[in-house]
This record gives sequence, C-alpha cells and structure tokens, in this order.
Amino acid sequence: MSSNQWEIGPIFRALMRNKVGAILIAIQIAVTMTIVVNSIFIILERAQRIERDSGIDEVNSFYLTTTGFGENFDPKSTAFNDLELIRNTPGVLDAIQINAIPVSGSGWSMSFQTEPGEEKETQGGAIYMVDEHAIDALDLEVIAGENFLPIDVRFRQPGVRDWPDNVLITKVLAESLFPDTPYQNVVGKTIYISQTEPMIVKGIVDKIQAPWVGWDDLEHTVLTPEITGFESNRYYVRAQAGQRDAIMPVIEEALASSNKQRIIRGMRTVQETRERSYRGDTAMIKILSTTMVILTIVTGLGIVGLASFSVNRRKKQIGTRRALGASQGSIVRYFMIENFLISTVGVSLGAALTVILNMLLVEMFSLNALDWYFVPAGMIVLWVVGQLAVFGPAKKAATIPPAMATRTV
Amino acid sequence: MLTMTDVKKVFRTDLIETHALRDFNLQVDEGEFVAVTGPSGSGKTTFLNIAGLLETFEGGTYQLDGQNVSHLNDRQRSQLRNEKIGFIFQSFNLIPDLNLFDNVDVPLRYRGFKRNERKKRIEESLELVGLANRMKHLPSQLSGGQQQRVAIARALAGNPRFLLADEPTGNLDTKMALSVLELLKQINQQGTTIVMVTHDQHLASQAKRNIYVRDGQVSEMSGIAEPAHIEMHQAAIG
Amino acid sequence: MFTYYLRLAMKSIKRNPILSALMITAIGLGIGASMTTVTVNYLMSANPIPHKSEQLFYVQLDSWSEFEPAREPNEPPDQITWTEATNLMQANQAYRQSAMASTGGVIEPQGQDEKPFMASIRLAFSDFFPMFDVPFLYGSGWPDSSDKNRDYVVVISKATNERVFGGENSIGRTIRIVGENFRVVGVLDDWLLVPRFYDVTTGAFDETEEVFMPFYMKQELELTNGGNTNCWKTPEGEGFTAFLQSECVNYQMWVELRNDNEKAQYMNFLDNYVNEQKSLGRFARPLNNRLSNVMEWMENQEVVADDAQIMMWVSFMFLLVCLLNTIGLLLAKFTGKAAEIGLRRAVGASKTDLFIQHLVETACIGIAGGILGLGLAYLGLEGIKSLYGEFVQNLVGLDVTMMASAILLALVSSILAGMYPTWRACNIAPASQLKS
Ligand SMILES: Nc1ncnc2c1ncn2[C@@H]1O[C@H](COP(=O)(O)OP(=O)(O)OP(=O)(O)O)[C@@H](O)[C@H]1O
Ligand SMILES: [Mg+2]
Repeated sequence: MSSNQWEIGPIFRALMRNKVGAILIAIQIAVTMTIVVNSIFIILERAQRIERDSGIDEVNSFYLTTTGFGENFDPKSTAFNDLELIRNTPGVLDAIQINAIPVSGSGWSMSFQTEPGEEKETQGGAIYMVDEHAIDALDLEVIAGENFLPIDVRFRQPGVRDWPDNVLITKVLAESLFPDTPYQNVVGKTIYISQTEPMIVKGIVDKIQAPWVGWDDLEHTVLTPEITGFESNRYYVRAQAGQRDAIMPVIEEALASSNKQRIIRGMRTVQETRERSYRGDTAMIKILSTTMVILTIVTGLGIVGLASFSVNRRKKQIGTRRALGASQGSIVRYFMIENFLISTVGVSLGAALTVILNMLLVEMFSLNALDWYFVPAGMIVLWVVGQLAVFGPAKKAATIPPAMATRTV
Repeated sequence: MLTMTDVKKVFRTDLIETHALRDFNLQVDEGEFVAVTGPSGSGKTTFLNIAGLLETFEGGTYQLDGQNVSHLNDRQRSQLRNEKIGFIFQSFNLIPDLNLFDNVDVPLRYRGFKRNERKKRIEESLELVGLANRMKHLPSQLSGGQQQRVAIARALAGNPRFLLADEPTGNLDTKMALSVLELLKQINQQGTTIVMVTHDQHLASQAKRNIYVRDGQVSEMSGIAEPAHIEMHQAAIG
Repeated sequence: MFTYYLRLAMKSIKRNPILSALMITAIGLGIGASMTTVTVNYLMSANPIPHKSEQLFYVQLDSWSEFEPAREPNEPPDQITWTEATNLMQANQAYRQSAMASTGGVIEPQGQDEKPFMASIRLAFSDFFPMFDVPFLYGSGWPDSSDKNRDYVVVISKATNERVFGGENSIGRTIRIVGENFRVVGVLDDWLLVPRFYDVTTGAFDETEEVFMPFYMKQELELTNGGNTNCWKTPEGEGFTAFLQSECVNYQMWVELRNDNEKAQYMNFLDNYVNEQKSLGRFARPLNNRLSNVMEWMENQEVVADDAQIMMWVSFMFLLVCLLNTIGLLLAKFTGKAAEIGLRRAVGASKTDLFIQHLVETACIGIAGGILGLGLAYLGLEGIKSLYGEFVQNLVGLDVTMMASAILLALVSSILAGMYPTWRACNIAPASQLKS
C-alpha cells in the first residue's frame, strides 16, 4: 500500500472547509486531556501518600481514651491497673499507654537540636510517651542501641515540663539530626529538647510515623519513657492476629467496670483512623477518577455523534468514493485519519494546556510539578480514545454500498 | 469486453420483491459506444450498477474483460472498478469539500500512483475538459455543465477501458448536453468503450449502438415502446 | 407563535432521540458536576454572619520569637497567649470583646439512666453572645459580673439540654461539669455556623460547642487545652500557672468595632499595648498587629479547602467540554436540517423566525439538561457526603438559590452553546438547498 492512498493532504484540506466542527472536537480533546492528565497525576500522588507505611501493626491494633472525673479519681493507680488489666486479657499481644496515635492527626511535637542554646538548627519531632512495651505493642524494631528498661520509665504528672533522660528516636530523625553520622553511631549521643534540656539517645527504632499525615517530616519521631497521669489518657492495644474485633468490646467493658470514675470514649481501630485521616485523599481520588472517566466517555460519545452525523451527511460522497475504487478499508481509513488529524491538533493543544494547568495548580495550590512523561502518555491515550470512538461510525461508513452513488437522493 | 448472460437482480424489501433485471443478456465489445434507453424503472441504472461492479447480482454470469466477476471479494471489485471503469453520474457526485484538482485525484490515490504521475494525469484530463485553469476552484463555484466536465475528467484520469454514464446530461440543458456528448464521442474515438444511459432519444441516436431496456430485459434496438403501458406495469409491481 | 416554535422544537428533539439524549446528558453532567462543586465551595466560603462580618475583628499580636516568624512570611501567630487574652479583656477598649478558648470535660447527668459523657466546652466572655448574635431558646448569656466574679454559670446547647434535662426549660437548674456544679443561665436554640468562624484552628467546619462557660474557669478549674497549642519557648517552671504565664498561644480574641474610627482607635491601642510590653522585655519582633474582619480572617486561614477549589475548576472545565460537545452536536444537527431550513426560507420564513425557532429548541434542551443536572448535583452532593463523612454534613445542602442558579446556568450556557449553530443555520441561503 503506498502512502498516496493515505490521502492526508486531501483529508486535511477537506477538514479546513469544515473548520468549526473539527476545532470543537480538537478543543474538547485538548481540555479532556488536560483534565485527565492532571487528574491522573494528582491521583497517583495521593495514592502514593496513602500507601505510605506508618511502621506500626495497623491491622491488629485499636485504641481508646479514658477520661476521669470526680474527686476520687486517681490517674496514677488507674493507669497502672488498666495496663495490667489490658495486658492480661487473653487475645492481647501487648498494650501501652500513649499520648497520641500515629496517623490520627493530633499529637504533640517538640524541637530537637544537637547543641544547646537559642538560634541553633532544630528538627521537629513528634513525641510518643510510652513505656518499654512500646516496641512490641507498636511492632517496632530497635535497630541500634537498646529498648527502654522498666527503670527508665517515669510517671509524669500534669504540668510537668521536663523530660526523661533517655529516648528512642527513629532512624530518619537520627539521620536528620546527625547527617554526617551513620545512624548506629547516634546511639549514646546527646540531643537537646526545649533548647537546653539534654536527652541521651538510647536506641534507634526502624520506623514510626508522626500523627500528622500532612507533615513533611512524617518520620521524625521520638519515644519518651513515661506513663502519664493526665485526666484523659489513651491506651493502644495490639491484639493477636485475628483477635482485634473480638477483644475490643471485652476490653471496653472490663475498663468501664473496673473503675466507675471515668468514661471510655473514642474506641477505634487504627485502620479506621487511617481511613479517616486519608479520607480527603481517598475522596479526591474517587472524585477525580469518576470525573475523568465520565469526561472521557462524554468526549468519546461526542466524537461518535459527530462522526455518525458526518457519515450520514457524506453518504453520497462515500458511495462515490466506493464507485471510484475505494475499498471498504479505504473508507474506514479515511475516517480514522480524519480523526487522527483532529486529535493531533487536540492533543498538541492539550499538551500545552496540561502544562499550563499544572503550573497554575503548582502556583495556587502548591501541588508538585508534573513529570514530563505524563504529557506524551496523555497524548497517546487521547489519540487512542479518538480512534476507538471513530471506529464504529467508520465501520458503518464502509458498509455504505457503492450503488449509493447512482441513487438520486 | 462486457458479457452478461442471464443476469438476474431482485430487490427485496419488507413487503415486495422487485425483479429489476430478469435474464438480462448483453454483450458489449471493445470500442463500442452504447446508448441505453428505456422507461423509468425498467432497470437501466441497475444494469449499469452491476456492469460497474457497484452492485452484486443473483443469477447468471457477468464477464468483464474476459474475467468472471461473480466470485470477487470487495477488495478485488474495488480494484477492478478503480483500474478499468470510469463513472459519470447524473448529479455529478463531485466531493463538495475538495477542489477540482483533489476531486480528480480521488481515484488516482486509490490506484496508488506516484505523486508526479497523479499530477500529470490530473492536469492532462482537466486540460481535456477545458478546465485546467480552474484547478483550485471548488465544485460549488462551477456551473452544472462544468461540474459534469470535471466528473468526466475524474472518470478519465485513470485511463479506464470502460466508461459508464448514468444520465450524464440529465441535469443539463440541451446545449450543455450536446457539448458533453461531443466530449464522450471524442473519448470513444480514442478507444474507450462507453455505455451511457439516457432518456434523450436524440442523444441516444448519436451513439453507435442503441439498446432498449424494458421490464428488466434487453430488447435490442427496436422502435419506440408504449411508455404508458410500461409505467402501469411498473406501478403494478411496485 | 411561541407554542408553534415549541411544538417544532419538540418534534425536532424527538426526531433525533439519541442525539438529543446525548446533548441533554452532556449538559446535565456538566451542570451537575459544576453545581456540586460550586455548592461545596459556596458553602465553604459562605459568610457565616453577613450582617456584621465587617464589624467583627480577629485580633493577632506578634508575640513570637525574635529569630523566626510564627508563619512565613512574617505572619503573626494565629492565636494569642493567656497574658494577652486577659490583659486585652481588662483594658476593655472595644465596643464588645471576648477572648476565648476551647476545652472539654465530662458532664454527669443527674438521672440514673444517663451515663456521664464528654462534652466540648467553649470558654468565653459575656460579650460572646451579643457579639455573635447567638440564638437562645431559654434564658440568655451570663452578665458581665459573672466573668469577673468567676460565677459557676453555663450556657448549654439545645442538644445538651435534651440529653441532660430532657429538653425542659432548665434555666436555674444545676448541671455537673468537670466535677463541679454549674447553674444553667441559658439554653441555645439551633445554632449552625458554616464555617464556624470564631475558631477555625481545628477545622473550620466543626460544630458549635455543647457548653459555654466563663473564660476564667480555665484558671479556676485548671481546664485542659483544647485546639492547638503552639509555643516558641518552653514555659518557665512547673505547673498550671507556669503554663498560663508562658508564651504559648492557645486563645482567640474577637472584638466588635462599629466603624473605621473605632477600628483605628483599637489598632492604636494594640500598638501602644505591644510597645508597653516591649518595655517589659516581651514582644521582640517589630510591631505586627492585625485586625481582620470575618471574611478576611477566613481568607487568611484558607477555610476553603484546596481540594474543593481544584474540584471546582476541574468541574468548570468539565462543563466546558460538555458545552463544546453540545455545540458540535447542534451544529451537526442544524447542518443536517439545512434542506428544511432552506425550504422554510424559500416559503418566506424570515431569519428572525428561524433564529427564534432554533433558539427555542436549544433552550428546551438546556432546560432538560438543567433539570437533569440538578438531579445529578443532588446525587453528587450525596456522593460527597458519603465520601467525606459526617464532617461535611453542613456543607452539602441544595438551597433554592443554588437550584435556581443551576437551571439558569444550564439555560444560559445551552443558549450560548446554541447561538453559533443557530446563527449558522439561519444563514443558509434559501437557494443553496435547491441544488442537491
Ligand atoms: N435499492 C433498491 N431497493 C429496492 N428496489 C430498487 C432499488 N434500486 C432499484 N430498485 C427498483 O428496481 C427497479 C429498477 O430500478 P432502476 O433504478 O434500475 O430503474 P431505471 O431504469 O434506472 O429508472 P430511471 O430511468 O427512473 O432512472 C425499479 O422498480 C426500482 O424501484
Ligand atoms: Mg436510473
């Protein structure tokens, strides 16, 4: 088959005689591509965000808050009794009292620095107040140094401002604080909290996320060894595999009946918490995907509609072409090429619009800049959509009999 | 050149069957100029469509240039049309969005000629019909007679052995019709076989041979039939 | 004549049912998507207190560290310290003023069957109620004197009143909160603030609180800190008092200033106050005090979520595609009707007649699309509700304004879309169609 048969020149010239229709489709394709590419980019970014591993055993864990009231409420004995009760409940792997829950959105952060004093370089870090059971309860690994000993764990009264002497920090925080030192060697070093108060890094844990999923330093985390005596306290429970749902009501009931001077509230699985924290992202993914699909369908149907129309209008012309020697394949090809030319204009314009929209999004909503390969990928997708959409009408055009040429209608 | 033996064509619609051709027999030799006349609905266009491979038929045989065309597939039929047959239509059938040059170019593209070859042929054939200077014009900018000349140029550009015309002058006034006929005669003299359907007895009489189609059958060169009777017959069928 | 056009339109729409359905669906989808996102954005950016949003001002004072701003670029912190909250209240320089904070505590209902429950508490001054036009079902806010005297009085929400007192008029009754007995002085009526502008630190679309209590109870009862607490400097010393006296910000301050003059005076007062504090060794940063009215503050706090805005722009582009689609299809359709139009012209229809005829047809498609769009917008909002959960509950209602504007938008955009094809159709020369 020679390239002459492709008729690109005549098709293009014929198109130019019906510019408006072609331009309308081209713009539709361009805008569709703009939305599709930017949406996919946002979707992938959000999906990546959601995928991030919090470092803890989310599947088997849950937590709850207890708030004491009344004069007879004793936070200290309550905390110790509760922990003992929970840890001895069958089905519980381990449990801790903790001031904040990873991924939950609320917590406590402090600044840390490697030299004491004002105006030093600092790193923010989320604080989890826990005891030596944290490693097992949270499913962490001490990859350098050692875990807390029971003796390290102090009782923290409300209003206390100072900090325990020994802490565990994450590998990422160790590397941020001491960029030139291998993390193993950070063990034993002194870091400063509240600008001047020293703490010794007793060990390095592999990974645990801070509570705020939108935070840049998501893996900057410090574990401090303390049981707190606040009015409200949280317990984090890791169940044995498969036991979580069964023991949740058991523990709630046991705690409620062991001490009437408090209410138990906010019992929730970590999975649910994750789902809540990322709900905005999940929703955005779903909304953008739906929009994208519907939009593509609308554009596709628009192409189908217009192509069918133009086939109908050109029946006689198609018959004539057939009479003059066009095979069915040539007729299909004619419409496919025509669409390809329109799409090419569309996706070229679309490439420009895609980049512009992305720049606006970067500017106005500080999204990330698009990776370059999204643009050609989007162009190919829209080309394919166009070709698929026009294939049906083109097939129909090919069935127009050559005898149509001699019919006087 | 063209031999039809007992060709049958039936159109079936929901309610009725129309026997457009029944045992149609005709032989046309190389170099002939045949005028086909007959009453409306007698099957002239149907015959021409079958002759030009625009339509299939049910029974009998049709040999074009010594080749039996019954078992050809769409591709082969298209190719035959493209190489051996030129068409001229009553309503010209120029493609409105293409200028004259591109219109004449259409069959040449399907033929797969090289660019220069196409250009040469287009110019020559437009020259022949006297419209070489309007190559860039659109069909809508021409008169009916001029459009038909372009259609003739398009039919000739591929050097077909065989030219089929269905009432080529039907939309033209007498003067234009005569000039188109002159053109066809000239082409015939150069060796192209022509079959032309017409309602115009005067034009028909100028052809070398006349055939008369009536009720889907050929009655070779006879006198003038009684059209009223045939119309009524047609009405009875349809 | 109009009904004739209408009949023609209906006929024409029915003649190409698939094409017409495609156009109506396209417009419907575009309108539906746009209305959904516009509604969300509109409610997010709604003025929660329109009649006096220009007279209510949020106070910011730059008490942050001399080495860095609270927020780039050189923004003062978005809350104030206890010291400032109490000093500004004592100075009493505005027409109305209230420092405030959020906290929580356990309520112990007296009835046997009601369990103790955790309630959200807003600490505020007596001006809070008149300043924000808080609606009361029973009673009223507490008097000025209760602020200073640290009276154990509360205003409770309608829901709390239901829960604790079974919905009776509970004025004068006692309610046990955070282990203390309080006297109920007011019960709120339904109070829906979207956004809850007076404190957006933990999210602009939180509910209003269940209990309102005099501000100084914070100190009196050592209530916990709700919301966000930010410190650039660790509190000096141990205990609750040390925390209150620290540079930690956890309090909001609103003032009502009735005119520019009052605003200028108050600004002047704030500057003087900060200068005075500077002489005491605080406020190391240059003067950077702010008074933002309600909408300025909402803007500053970026109350309209980025995602909602992105979705809105995406949906507008979506609508654009749908309209282009419709234009294309109408163009094709009207071109297909060229013969008919030519005929009508030939038998004497004027251009205007044809123009109106086709515009009526487009408008019918537009209205149908608009109605479909409205339905889709309803579904869209339900979808958003189910995707985002309860916290958007107040953000996803369709009101009459929105419904009217949906139909209007559909009508206008479809007529705009129909304009060009109609114009083209009407310019078909009467003669051109007589040729085949
Ligand atoms: N596609 C078709 N479907 C059904 N019937 C058809 C079709 N084409 C032609 N016919 C019928 O076949 C018969 C022959 O038609 P044909 O077009 O060949 O007549 P004709 O001799 O060319 O007439 P005219 O001089 O009016 O052009 C007619 O009765 C016609 O109605
Ligand atoms: Mg005929």
